[in-house]
Amino acid sequence: MLFGPLGPSLAPYVRSSRTLSKWLKPIANWYANVSGYRKVGLVYDDLLVEERPDVQRALTRLTPREAYDRAFRFKRASQASVLHKELPKSEWTNPEEDVRYLKPHVLEVVKEDQERRVWDTIDVVRK
Amino acid sequence: MLRACRIVCASKRGFATVVDASTGFKVAAVDNGQPSSSVTVLLKAGSRYQTKPGVAHTLSNFAFKSTAKRSALGTIREAELYGGVLSSSLSREHLALTAEFLRGDEEYFVDVLASFLAAPKFTRHELSEYVLPAVHSESHAASQSAPTYALELAHALAFRGGLGNSLYADSQATGNITAEDIRDLHARAVGNPSSVAILGTGISAESLAKLFESAVSAHKTSVTPVPSAPAPSATTYRGGSTRIASAHGPQAVFVGFGSTALASVPALHALAAHLNPAPALKWASSAALLASGIPAGVHARSVLLPYSDATLIGVVLEGEDAAGLREGAKAVVGAFKDAAGGKVGREELARAVARAKFQVAAGVEAREGYVGALGPKVLKGETASLQTVLDGIQGVSAASLSQVAGDLVKSKPTYIAIGDVHALPHADEIGLSA
Repeated sequence: MLFGPLGPSLAPYVRSSRTLSKWLKPIANWYANVSGYRKVGLVYDDLLVEERPDVQRALTRLTPREAYDRAFRFKRASQASVLHKELPKSEWTNPEEDVRYLKPHVLEVVKEDQERRVWDTIDVVRK
Repeated sequence: MLRACRIVCASKRGFATVVDASTGFKVAAVDNGQPSSSVTVLLKAGSRYQTKPGVAHTLSNFAFKSTAKRSALGTIREAELYGGVLSSSLSREHLALTAEFLRGDEEYFVDVLASFLAAPKFTRHELSEYVLPAVHSESHAASQSAPTYALELAHALAFRGGLGNSLYADSQATGNITAEDIRDLHARAVGNPSSVAILGTGISAESLAKLFESAVSAHKTSVTPVPSAPAPSATTYRGGSTRIASAHGPQAVFVGFGSTALASVPALHALAAHLNPAPALKWASSAALLASGIPAGVHARSVLLPYSDATLIGVVLEGEDAAGLREGAKAVVGAFKDAAGGKVGREELARAVARAKFQVAAGVEAREGYVGALGPKVLKGETASLQTVLDGIQGVSAASLSQVAGDLVKSKPTYIAIGDVHALPHADEIGLSA
């Protein structure tokens, strides 16, 4: 997954170790807040690079409600960018609202692509 | 393994043996030593049982998509490697899922069918990415064929709800079909195991039942509650007439009647064969009385569609020329009235009976005909044999034929005209009452 749509991540390793996640979780939360996307009302999956076919395909699989909300967040964030202002604090994204709504779809598409690659290059052996 | 190896019937013609598998499914198979085998799963998931228009058609296109065990792509590629063919076909009462394959590959293909029965996924993205485009193109193709459209309309007029539901999902109907609707229809069809029939050719019933048992038990993860369904109401025949404007392709006229009397089905077989103007030899003209009344350029064939509690019988005429269709439709009505009036001679009756018997018997030779003819019998738990049908047709007398035709003619006719509505006749202009 080094060059996959989600980029390289050490998160699964960190999560698997209790000590590491206890140490790093506060830092991760601090980093997520300081990176600023929550202050313009976005959620983390909005930052995913969408200019690639697999993510585009995953985007078509959102429910109409999710797709609408995503478009709304982008419009609101662009307006905030134009004004060079953060949103009022009441409109910031709460950490609880920051869910990975796109990641499961992206992973599914990646799995399908991998399976297709496997079938396309399979070596058939007669038993 | 087998709870009850109840061999209900091994008729002298050896069409099929019926076995109740311990899963509750009814299994019937016939092995005539063919080089290839086929397995068909028959579900009561036809358009009759759908709760929203078009759900049955969508479910039939959802067959062999991803299940808990393998993805849609995996199913296709593996089936290709084995050299098999997977298909699904929908009728008004049943959904048939078929796998055809070489002998020896039954384990894999039975597993594919069992995984669709026990653990289908019905994902939302497959519905929009693969299933609905196929549904739309099939519906579009059907809507462009005047005879198909005429038969759809005939069912809708004759039976209204239930059997009158269209086989095809139009684009308006698919808009509000969700994956949950499809899952509901599937769960209702599979939830009652006695309403599932498994028909095999080129495989023995015992080994087929055993394979299905092990495959289904391997897939069974949890018992899902079966959504309650309104029991399908008994069919009543209504009849009616309609004329639809269509500027494309040949025009079509359907003249027919419906019957809900099951006892008259053998006589209806004979009547349909008696009416059928299609010649037995290509380019020749048929000796059937109706054939002389059909003008050149009009293609006519009789249609007999028997369902579990109703039958639709009629003649479909297809042609470019509205005047020819008017003449042909008049001849069809005349032929029905002649049959009702007892004007069917002894020789004509013998010919009709022989023709009907041959059509039934020859239909069973092909796999589709075998499933269509014996599947409903297996589901009802009757002996899966053709002999009773053939005996029934053999027993049709001139009196019973004219009585059945008389009952038909007394009921309200079903009349459909598709094409140039300014030139095509109205129902009363061709001699139909009401």
